[in-house]
Amino acid sequence: MSKSVLRGLRAAALTGTLVLGSSLALAAENPIKLGVLEDQSGDFAAATIGKVHAIQLATEEINKAGGIMGRPIELVAYDTQSDNTRYQEFMRRVLQRDKVDVVFAGFSSASREAYRPIVDQFNGFAFYNNQYEGGVCDGHMIVTGAVPEQQFSTLIPYMMEKYGKNVYTLAADYNFGQISAEWVRKIVKENGGKMAGEEFIPLGVSQFSQSIQNIQKAKPDFVVTLLVGTAQASYYEQAASANVNLPMASSVNVGQGYEHKRFKPPSLKDMYVTTNYIEEIDSPKSKEFYAKFKAKFPSEPYVNQEAENSYLAVYLYKQMVERAKSTKREDIRKVIALGDVCMDAPEGKVCIDPKSQHMSHTIYLAKVGADHSISFPKTWEDIKPYWLGEAGCDLTKKDPMAQYTPSNPPPKP
Amino acid sequence: MDIATLVFSALYQFGDAFAFLVLSACGLAVIFGMMGVINLAHGEFIMCGAYVTAATVHAGLPLPLGILAGTIVSALVGVLVELVVIRHLYDRPLDTIVATWGLSLIATQGTLIMVGSTMAGVGTPFGSFQVGAYSYSIYRIVLFCAALGVLVGLYALFNWTRFGVLARATIQVPHMAAALGVDTRLVYSLTFACGAGLAGLAGGLYAPTMTLVPTMGATFIMEAFVTVVIGGADVFLGTAPAGAVLAVVKSVMTSWQGQLFGQIGLLVAVIIVVRVLPKGISGFVLRERT
Amino acid sequence: MTALVSLFRRLEGPQTVGRGPVFWGLFAIVLAVGIAYPLFSDGYTVGNTVYFFVWVFIALSLCLIWGYGGSLSFGQTAFFGIAGYGYGVLTLNFGSAYGFTLIAFVAAIVIAALFAVLLGYFMFFGRIAGVFLGIVTLAVTLMLERFMAQTAGPEWHIGSARLNGFNGMSAMPPLTIPWPGEPIVLFADVGLYYFVLGLLVFVYLALRILMNSSFGNVIVAIRENPERAEMLGYDIRKYQLITFVIGAALAGISGVLYTAWGQYITPSSMGMTAAALPLIWVAVGGRSDLTSTVVGTLVVLAAFQALTIYGSQYALVFMGVLLVLTVLIAPNGLVLGAMNWLGKLAARLTQRAG
Repeated sequence: MSKSVLRGLRAAALTGTLVLGSSLALAAENPIKLGVLEDQSGDFAAATIGKVHAIQLATEEINKAGGIMGRPIELVAYDTQSDNTRYQEFMRRVLQRDKVDVVFAGFSSASREAYRPIVDQFNGFAFYNNQYEGGVCDGHMIVTGAVPEQQFSTLIPYMMEKYGKNVYTLAADYNFGQISAEWVRKIVKENGGKMAGEEFIPLGVSQFSQSIQNIQKAKPDFVVTLLVGTAQASYYEQAASANVNLPMASSVNVGQGYEHKRFKPPSLKDMYVTTNYIEEIDSPKSKEFYAKFKAKFPSEPYVNQEAENSYLAVYLYKQMVERAKSTKREDIRKVIALGDVCMDAPEGKVCIDPKSQHMSHTIYLAKVGADHSISFPKTWEDIKPYWLGEAGCDLTKKDPMAQYTPSNPPPKP
Repeated sequence: MDIATLVFSALYQFGDAFAFLVLSACGLAVIFGMMGVINLAHGEFIMCGAYVTAATVHAGLPLPLGILAGTIVSALVGVLVELVVIRHLYDRPLDTIVATWGLSLIATQGTLIMVGSTMAGVGTPFGSFQVGAYSYSIYRIVLFCAALGVLVGLYALFNWTRFGVLARATIQVPHMAAALGVDTRLVYSLTFACGAGLAGLAGGLYAPTMTLVPTMGATFIMEAFVTVVIGGADVFLGTAPAGAVLAVVKSVMTSWQGQLFGQIGLLVAVIIVVRVLPKGISGFVLRERT
Repeated sequence: MTALVSLFRRLEGPQTVGRGPVFWGLFAIVLAVGIAYPLFSDGYTVGNTVYFFVWVFIALSLCLIWGYGGSLSFGQTAFFGIAGYGYGVLTLNFGSAYGFTLIAFVAAIVIAALFAVLLGYFMFFGRIAGVFLGIVTLAVTLMLERFMAQTAGPEWHIGSARLNGFNGMSAMPPLTIPWPGEPIVLFADVGLYYFVLGLLVFVYLALRILMNSSFGNVIVAIRENPERAEMLGYDIRKYQLITFVIGAALAGISGVLYTAWGQYITPSSMGMTAAALPLIWVAVGGRSDLTSTVVGTLVVLAAFQALTIYGSQYALVFMGVLLVLTVLIAPNGLVLGAMNWLGKLAARLTQRAG
């Protein structure tokens, strides 16, 4: 190994410690350990590096203000490289070796499903700070991201009223896309609309000529795009250059992968997205958060909804620990069961639903203009993650540690 | 809907799939088909071309010049890679898998660290046109023409120029060529650079239509390998018909059963062709000819 | 009795590196350390070591097919996945009582081997060889991956086991040994460690015997020169097919153990990256020798994990550099190169002494 490589290795090791440095400097005898497993390299890095930064920001703020019950937070962070097996390795490591009090982990649903059995086995406590397809009913998990019922029960009726009742869905061909498409179908039907077509695209596909033609043939009033991953995001550019010119609705784009910043206008013109946070939100709370974020990480390309979810999750955890006066999962869940764990997040007020341990959110409808500027035609406050609770998941009574979908609901008692 | 519209749309879909297969495969066909080097970093050469194209366009260059810059930079990187790594592995083709996989890791992660997780796109030029009820992107026609142009150019290069003849001689019987005074090292070097440059060209051409991320090369790699394997060793006799056959398979399966079956169709086609024609289409054509 | 002795004599021979009392003494020491070390370690380290062991079987399968047999299979992950999913489907349907997980363990490996019989017959009796073999096997594993990735809907199920698409199948029971009173559940800890260690030693020794037997010699002869082997009257297709099936079974062992270890299996285990990894372990270690493969795989796995932990975002870059340097500097693999060098050194020393 050459000298420069060695030097690089040492430099890398040093930066690694510096990242943790802020908390280590404080290190009292008894810090609260927070494990962070996020993809800092590989396919998903674009959307997830911001999550790590948000956790670091919140940790620094909390530690400056005296920590949690006087105990500083210590971050134990690993790069999971967008690789499911790394989640399995490192989830075991943080729980068994590092003995963390809580873990913030995961971007893709596959990674969450990969680590969930390990969290359950070791009786760990994990936060999944991500928007996803919904349905995880597991007492070891808290989900701070938005779920389909929150995003679609707002988005689809709005779009149908504004543009018409003929809907075309273009979705990624895996769990998230298929379940989200199921939600769209259901809500369109409930509102008296009609599916003009549905198409599923395998992950990693980047060429959309045939899909564009299918859409033109079906002549919908608007297209619901549930495309996931950087390859599939190529659709917008290709649709724009083929002059498809239909309004689009989505629950994933803009809020996660900031496509409106990365693509040349006007490829995302008339895209409507429901999200619980993006950096353009024009409220004092949001602006303050954004300013703090940019001050600490000036080169951050975008502060997306997952970054805000991760940021508020640290504060939420602080509140729960301080109220429970313990970091034990059982004690914290007793606090959650009271049903009043709420906080004023950058997006607005959020609360944890004790039945599903998911979060209520303020949902913003973001509209992308022809110049890719964002406007907010509508905002819904306090939208609840109602589905799991209604379907029969009640974690205050029973913990099935399973994931359910609308077509595979919890068994009736 | 009238027949003309249907025919045109089928042709357009075919041309689109053909362009993608041929452009992503050409560079690999030269490197894998001719030199026997299994280049798992092929996708990263494509990414390199796309990034350079986008960067130069952002700097103010017009798109065609940007694509040219992407092609040239990729070719230069190819020369460097050949010099440092590939040169030592010609007698061990299977080891090139490990080495180029390593290179691809370095390239993707290095790009992520240096350039960041994404790069702003450049926008697709030329706009659209209407046939019947459908509107189409003009740039896609440009891509199809570019694919044809590349094929003709390669044919000319390897059949009508002195370099092409020397390259084919070197690759068929290296020691004989060396004995006759050919600088085989230079020939290998240039051939590899040619393959890398073609990959860069593909990246540059597709840069305006795609998301630019360090891992973008991965979306090309399966189609590229499939086309080259079906085509066999000869770039012109192999890649062109393979591209055409696969484009038919892919566009028909995609329009009939959706994208998933388009992809599975490609993989099944490979398995069948390899079973029936172990040397690919070009091997079959050449055998028939002799 | 004599049969047994001659069997054990095959433990060393021309096809495997390492012979004589020094080698077996070292082997005994390593084994003793391997057996004793969980007593001095914590649950995480033991569980993590099991995880490394799990991958050794698929590396051995590639060592057999590629290193000894000379046919590059790029798709061992296909058998890994089939066996993993097989275990999941079987145990989710029939549970873990009465030692059924062990039956499922064997059944899943048999399923993978049967699939290999079909695929291998198609390939070897179709005279597909060289790089094309690699491409066909890669195509097969990618096809399985893409297909499984879209099976998220409730319509995709086998019995009561949902395939669950890209998110993967989970909640299958770990391996369970029936025991009077309380069955022993092999979680990723000391229990599973000894199970897998035992299996690994058994497989390693069995493969040594196999490779030094006449079968192994024929396999190597086919690698060196298929035409000559055929001229000598061997039906090389049959030998290649058998090697391929044994290899598939080994990859299947990895698949089942992986699934049982993490109680999870996903289509990405059959994807492009997953398919390339075993090639890298084997190439770095030294593909044409069993011992080098075992040691190399463990070293590479541990090194890559350490890099990821301590190297932050540069980890993947270092891995890349490591791979390129290995290929350039130690073409036969790092471990095999080192062992050959040690062997030469020892020979010179004994010569000088004698």
